[in-house]
Amino acid sequence: MKSISHDRWALLVSAVILLVLPLVASGYVLYIVNLLMVFVVLSLGMHVVIGEAGQFALSHTAFYGIGIYTAGLINTACHPPFFISILAGGLLSAVLGYVIGLLALRMRDIYLALATFAFGEAMQWVFLNWDKVTGGSNGMRMQPAELFGLKLTNDLQAYPFVIGVAALMLWLTVILSRSQYGSCLRAVRESEVAAMAMGINVKAMKQSAFAISAAFAGIAGGMYTLFTSFIHPESLGFQTTILVLTMVVVGGIGSVRGAVLGAIVFGLISELLRQALSVQEIIYGVILMGFMMFKPKGLFAGNQKRAATVITPAASA
Amino acid sequence: MSAPPFLDIEGVTVRFGGLVAVNKLSFQVERGTIHALIGPNGAGKSTTFNCISRYYQPTSGRIRIQGEDVSDYKPERMAGLGVARTFQNLELFSDLTVYENVLLGCHAHSANTLKGLLSRPSGETRDLVDSLIERVGLMHDRDTRASELDFGHQKLLELARALALKPRLLLLDEPAAGLRNHDIEGLNRLLTELTQRDGITVLLVEHVMQLVMAVSHRITVMSFGEKIAEGTPQEIGQDPLVIEAYLGKGAAHA
Repeated sequence: MKSISHDRWALLVSAVILLVLPLVASGYVLYIVNLLMVFVVLSLGMHVVIGEAGQFALSHTAFYGIGIYTAGLINTACHPPFFISILAGGLLSAVLGYVIGLLALRMRDIYLALATFAFGEAMQWVFLNWDKVTGGSNGMRMQPAELFGLKLTNDLQAYPFVIGVAALMLWLTVILSRSQYGSCLRAVRESEVAAMAMGINVKAMKQSAFAISAAFAGIAGGMYTLFTSFIHPESLGFQTTILVLTMVVVGGIGSVRGAVLGAIVFGLISELLRQALSVQEIIYGVILMGFMMFKPKGLFAGNQKRAATVITPAASA
Repeated sequence: MSAPPFLDIEGVTVRFGGLVAVNKLSFQVERGTIHALIGPNGAGKSTTFNCISRYYQPTSGRIRIQGEDVSDYKPERMAGLGVARTFQNLELFSDLTVYENVLLGCHAHSANTLKGLLSRPSGETRDLVDSLIERVGLMHDRDTRASELDFGHQKLLELARALALKPRLLLLDEPAAGLRNHDIEGLNRLLTELTQRDGITVLLVEHVMQLVMAVSHRITVMSFGEKIAEGTPQEIGQDPLVIEAYLGKGAAHA
């Protein structure tokens, strides 16, 4: 019970900070916060498929890209309220995620990781070469997202909506994790053989986890279009997937709290290291190794007993 | 006309490549009884078991439950029919708590609709889970992860999880293996109670003869994939073929 009130406190404090921030912070700081919120949703999506369902899907950035291009193209073409273009990207990603989820029915572990990695690479190639739609290697300019005539042209205007969508996705993740569906995903992760004996449709669980995870990534892509006007396929490569994987694993695999805090910490680190370009990778690697050596179970998953209390539905009821 | 037997195995053969693991096996289990399947290692008991719970597909033969032919069913469909099983080498959800393990056993009746799946378990389900944890004596470890329990307690947890299905047929694969005498007596009492009070039919694969002889109504003996004897515990205890299969040729005459 104690850890739950900790989480409540953390949420309350974050809410206050996020409310005050636009009054005092510069545009750059708000841009960072917006970007971190995108990472939080990406990380939550990967948490569902890897952390809960135990399926090593490394195609996350592909769905993120699909979300960005879909929302960006829709915004440019017909200026609908932004949530429509975000939803469209999420939906398209979910459908494709469901199809890619078929892979998980035939292979597992490292083989699944390789196959989904290949899909991610293929999608980046599509983004780079489908000139007519994505602008190819020139990148793509996008019209700003709108809400009933209000154009979101800077980070401050986008800020409340980016935060809102991130909060909604976090809430959905918590609901999902505490539902019996969440239990079923963890059952599949722990033992497919036993899950079947419980009457759990293992294939449906895996495929739906893929679809939900992809939907999260697609929605994260849509969020990105709220505060940016340009996308280049170079940023949609395997590096981004690895960054999100780092957030989930080092944050504490299997824990919603770990996925959120991992996204914030590693999103910040990767953004701050952008200033020190030449040594960026080295510093990043050292930090990562340090975390893996001293906190192999994750930074924020709490001790095991505590993690167990959080995921037990009755304990949090 | 009498009702069909609860479980009807008819001419089941399982081949793995050139190996015949089970050969034209037939037997029936009557409702509300404890039926034991015994035999030396490699006799095909677990293979038979895996056919009934639909993990293996027999090469030929039929499996019927209350007259319903289940020979082509998928394993996840069996829970809905009231068939629960435990595993010889434990298949717990190791990283989950005792509570969540047993809760997952309720899946077939508490999360069988989309609405059920997306909501938290009902109060009724949570009470059932707690009563089962209590019944196998694990209340003290309710929020402990399954992997942290000792072996005997893990076996009990698997049993509680199987009971959470509200089974009509319980398939137990060596539930007494690795248990101490004291725990075997508890298991003995629990099995008798399950059939007498709850009307559950039990098919038991077991090597611990002390338990088999005490609780079984009928025993089917297998050796090298074939049924070599069937009868009450008394009959089986005196059957020369059984003694030979277990102790080797000549032992029956000694």
